[in-house]
Amino acid sequence: MRPGNPPSPGTVPLSVEILDPRSAPEPEGWVNFLSHQRLQPVWDYELLRLEAWLARNPPVLAVIRDGSRPVGALSVMVCRTWREQAFAPAPSGRTKALRPRWAEVYLPLLSGYPACVFAASLSTEERRDALRLFERELRRYLGAGLLGVVYRAMTAELVPAIDGPYRMSREIDPIAVLANRFSTFEDWSGTLAPEIRETLREVAADLDTTAGTGRRDLDAHELAALLNEHRARQDRRAWGQGQRARAGGLHMDTRSPIPPAYLDTFVRRSDVITRTYRDARGKLLAFNTMIDHPDSPAIHHWAALSGMDGGRRNLYVDCYAHGVRHMIERGLPELTAGRALLGNKTALGFGTRELSSVAVPKPVLGR
Amino acid sequence: MTAVWSASYRRIVRSAFATVPLYRERWALDGREDPVVVPGKRGTDGGALGAGEMARKRVDLVPLAGGSAEFDPCRGLGPVLADARPAGRGTVVAVLDPAIRRPPADLPRGVRGCWLDSEALPPAAMAELVSTLRRNGKVIAVGPDKTLGMLTAALPEDVAARVGAVPQRRLDELDGGPFGVLHDPALGYLGAFRDCGRWHVDWRNVFVRATSGGLAFTVLTQRSPRLVDILIAGGVRGRVEPCPRHGTPVVLT
Repeated sequence: MRPGNPPSPGTVPLSVEILDPRSAPEPEGWVNFLSHQRLQPVWDYELLRLEAWLARNPPVLAVIRDGSRPVGALSVMVCRTWREQAFAPAPSGRTKALRPRWAEVYLPLLSGYPACVFAASLSTEERRDALRLFERELRRYLGAGLLGVVYRAMTAELVPAIDGPYRMSREIDPIAVLANRFSTFEDWSGTLAPEIRETLREVAADLDTTAGTGRRDLDAHELAALLNEHRARQDRRAWGQGQRARAGGLHMDTRSPIPPAYLDTFVRRSDVITRTYRDARGKLLAFNTMIDHPDSPAIHHWAALSGMDGGRRNLYVDCYAHGVRHMIERGLPELTAGRALLGNKTALGFGTRELSSVAVPKPVLGR
Repeated sequence: MTAVWSASYRRIVRSAFATVPLYRERWALDGREDPVVVPGKRGTDGGALGAGEMARKRVDLVPLAGGSAEFDPCRGLGPVLADARPAGRGTVVAVLDPAIRRPPADLPRGVRGCWLDSEALPPAAMAELVSTLRRNGKVIAVGPDKTLGMLTAALPEDVAARVGAVPQRRLDELDGGPFGVLHDPALGYLGAFRDCGRWHVDWRNVFVRATSGGLAFTVLTQRSPRLVDILIAGGVRGRVEPCPRHGTPVVLT
């Protein structure tokens, strides 16, 4: 464990441990922390390890400890490129480099949730100190080539602890959220426009739909191929409409394709519901994964064949309806549904929760 | 030659590990050997993939930068034909494999190539073959034995015997010649039976190594789909040795 700066009066004695999931064993106390903080499954260390091995810009995990007890964590993409089409080099034992890199505190596979979590017991001031300590440790870990840190998709609750002088903060696309104010599914469906109700009745009526947790009957490669194609199509449309961030006309995309091995592990989890839609010949038309979280279930991956390839229009309405039904029947407080295509989600009754990004350039890191 | 050949292969392995999703996933999580890319992980069958799995996951054989996911079963005919039955200027090369359905694209300059449907040999193409043979030109026909037989049966007797037949063989059906080319439906043409009586690998374009799953083939010169360490023909056990006469690699099954 890397010790932090010695505590000064009035600050908590925190330390930060930074690990590369590809080579480091699971940090001590991590499973308990996951369970106490009720973190989403993307924080599972095995999934982080898979994500890191199969990413262009792989995550490292920063664990903030109070003594030996984890009280916070950040998933940090170490970005060497937004253009180069290559996976990150395998870990060599040397983490420092002069090569320019930047860090993004971001969950690329669950982009509406912050990649920064704290135990509720930490005050804003303590969180601020912990984050400054994290930034100093990250600078030490990555070396002189670190250009800065971008905290992406942070909630309003976290921004005060991150923001400060010479730090640039801006609001980004919000996450779609449906608060559970319904007693029955019919309460919700009654709020929909007639044409959406009509779609809901008919769109999947003749399809073979299977849903469940811990699915072991799926071909992860088939899912990944459909998902990556869907995502590429959606990105093309989003970039065509100027929805994604650009700098100097460049598409600043630090994400990677979603690998089959990751999906394979993900859909086998007991807290992930996977719904597949197949036509009469067994062809996969669409699928969805939903995170069955007790506080904030999330409609996660959604992928569908395009109409040109034999897909069916508006199939997502059926998927969302099942998500809403799940939320209502289990009495869960809300349902989230990502940050893209907010217009479609608004039509299904979703509101939004604001998110912000904060950029911290090198000169103010740790200050 | 072996050192240069191996160096080319190692460069392709490093590149595939860095840029091609299927190899990245397989070798990062399970490992591979010769060369090892993740210390401590040696993989299954040395990291080689079965041809069926490769075909099923071919979308992940495309490097991150993009490229074609289509196999070219006619790839490599030009180089292997130079070893199997050299074609001079004016030669017509006819491919008769119903599974290929495309003409060769890498024949030497001055050599014409075509693909012929052996079930319905087109009269115009047949007339051209007959005309070439009657002008003392050279015609080379490449394909499975059955389709080669169909072609010669359809030609007039006076020219049929002058067609240079080059039967194509899968790795699990290599024979004693006197002519032949080694073919795989996904990797294309991989080697040829030469005058020394051995099956030579097209070493400038293809690498082969023995693994516990059988002989694993790599196409060194194709960017996408990237084909590295593929166990063709269901995995055939064998050895790779230098030819005592030519000094270049031969496969012994």
